[in-house]
Amino acid sequence: MAQRLLIPIGPQHPALKEPLGFRFRVEGERVLETHIRMGYVHRGIERACQERTYIQDLYLVERICGICSHIHTTAFCQGVEELLGVEVPRRALYIRTIVCELERIHSHMLWLGVLGRDAGFETLFMYTWRDRETVLDILEEISGNRINHAVNTIGGVRIDFTQAHIESILKRLDYLEEQAHYYLGLVTTESTFVARTHGVGYLSREDGRALCVVGPTTRASGVDRDVRRDDPYAAYEELPFEVVTASEGDALARTVVRVKEVIESVRMVRYALQNSPQGEVRVKVRRRVPPGEVISRVEAPRGELIYYIKSDGTERPARVKMRTPTLANLVAIPHMLKEAHIADGPIVLAAIDLCIACADR
Amino acid sequence: MPARTLLKKLKEALGEHIGQAWVPRPHRAFFTVKREELHDVVEALVKRFDIRHLSTITGVDTGEEIELLYHFWDRDVCFTVKITLPHHQPRIKTLTDIVPGALFYEREVHDLLGVEFEEHPDLSPLVLPEGWEDGHPLLKDWSPPEEN
Amino acid sequence: MLDGLIRWARRKSPWILHFNTGGCNGCDIELLDALTPRFDVERLGILQKATPRHADVLVCAGPVTRQARDRLLRIYEQMPEPKWVVAIGSCACSGGVFRGCYNVLGGIDQVIPVDMYVPGCPTKPEAIIDGLVKLLEGI
Repeated sequence: MAQRLLIPIGPQHPALKEPLGFRFRVEGERVLETHIRMGYVHRGIERACQERTYIQDLYLVERICGICSHIHTTAFCQGVEELLGVEVPRRALYIRTIVCELERIHSHMLWLGVLGRDAGFETLFMYTWRDRETVLDILEEISGNRINHAVNTIGGVRIDFTQAHIESILKRLDYLEEQAHYYLGLVTTESTFVARTHGVGYLSREDGRALCVVGPTTRASGVDRDVRRDDPYAAYEELPFEVVTASEGDALARTVVRVKEVIESVRMVRYALQNSPQGEVRVKVRRRVPPGEVISRVEAPRGELIYYIKSDGTERPARVKMRTPTLANLVAIPHMLKEAHIADGPIVLAAIDLCIACADR
Repeated sequence: MPARTLLKKLKEALGEHIGQAWVPRPHRAFFTVKREELHDVVEALVKRFDIRHLSTITGVDTGEEIELLYHFWDRDVCFTVKITLPHHQPRIKTLTDIVPGALFYEREVHDLLGVEFEEHPDLSPLVLPEGWEDGHPLLKDWSPPEEN
Repeated sequence: MLDGLIRWARRKSPWILHFNTGGCNGCDIELLDALTPRFDVERLGILQKATPRHADVLVCAGPVTRQARDRLLRIYEQMPEPKWVVAIGSCACSGGVFRGCYNVLGGIDQVIPVDMYVPGCPTKPEAIIDGLVKLLEGI
């Protein structure tokens, strides 16, 4: 019988950019048990939110995560707006949606590169990160910053598009769509990549549902669930789009789902740009928020993001709770790694698209 | 299914277990249950209604007691089951036996608010650092430790 | 003379190790951006390494959390001399927006000595490259 070993990996390790500790109990090359230690990026944001005002919190929640910063402020703002009972101008909702989808494109492309690198496909990493710069250029043009765009504010958005913006964005969207189709072909036909991801990190539909997994990870296991369609927010009710699903439930299926989502997002941004209504982009709101509690949900690039905000009538929230998609998906890792080959570890981890900054807060 | 219809259906099936119930807006519903009955109610949700998705557990310290909010997602409705626990030694039976996805959420609530989940397989710290002995940061009367 | 030669060689190709001590990912990704085709500092001999034992420059992003503190110290100790530390982002410089959070100790300089501070939230790749260049000029 092969000897049982305990292998510690992390928190600083080559597979992820962020600190996360693992302990694998292995027998030979087989993983028997995985133990995850998080908390390296825990800053105590939920507590800090209670100690600061709503406007200060806006800047704090934007910095929970540097990849999906806009989606956090979207969830926070629409929650506070619901408490305040203000109606946000429709143009502002469209701008929010456009930035949300641009962020999804940037996040998925970033992720595809990281997966490529973990799978030993360095060229894919360089390709996608090159193309991702196109999205960052668009975001920098409209908001002034590549990351942490500070687009949202309570009562609307802080930026507006001009016709020149729209034209230049539309031109670059064509390039992004073309590239996304190229990547879709690449990941499904490149035999080494397929061999490295096919059947790896399998999660069945039943397990996905039982473990409450969210986002592309669960959609790749055949669970048809998307907040944008099921609980529409911002301008999603007025946009035509398809929810991408797959049934295979492995790392390859997750890749295909995400690349297809990029194509879907490009189309949504294009539609929203061409059909956004004219008008104001923000309304003035009071600083004091009436007492109440609200649940705000959005579909972050990694899945369902849920905020619970409770107000006691002051300038500071009584409680802000956020559950990020990565925390929901982390539960599935020990399950996916059970009986897996230890060398598949990095692929399984990457395929979920971990964002530890989100999970720890 | 609209939130009202779902709530009506749940009320018909679980009648006496459901306390107050309200629908603040479309896609949202809230209801309270007694803490002793939570486990049975969630078991009924999972087994009879096939509502398996627990979005998260929120713990709130209201000053007098600790509120736990279990947010579930069923197609187009996000509904919340609310229970209250006493401030002193809050305890509740774990849900991990019927909802395996609750594993990390319960650990987080344990970390930040000190709620004991009975029969939970592993209540080791999730986000707090190793060797943390300075209490539970989300309690109202908590103050940060002195810098050493 | 040998010292001069080593110094000359070091200036040409610093190998960096990246460690996130509790940051939001923003700066980490901008650092990786600096390595990818748009900016491509790899063509100048700046390589990212996976282990502290191969690295000359430790690039840290994010405020130091209580849990990450000991790991940061251990990584710093594992790096061979001479070594330099670059703090990228406002959080790594001073704690930034997270200053005052209960699990945050402050900037990187609360734990290990820092040679170069690159502010910004997040820092742009241009700023990171500029910081590295200025660091090399000082060697």
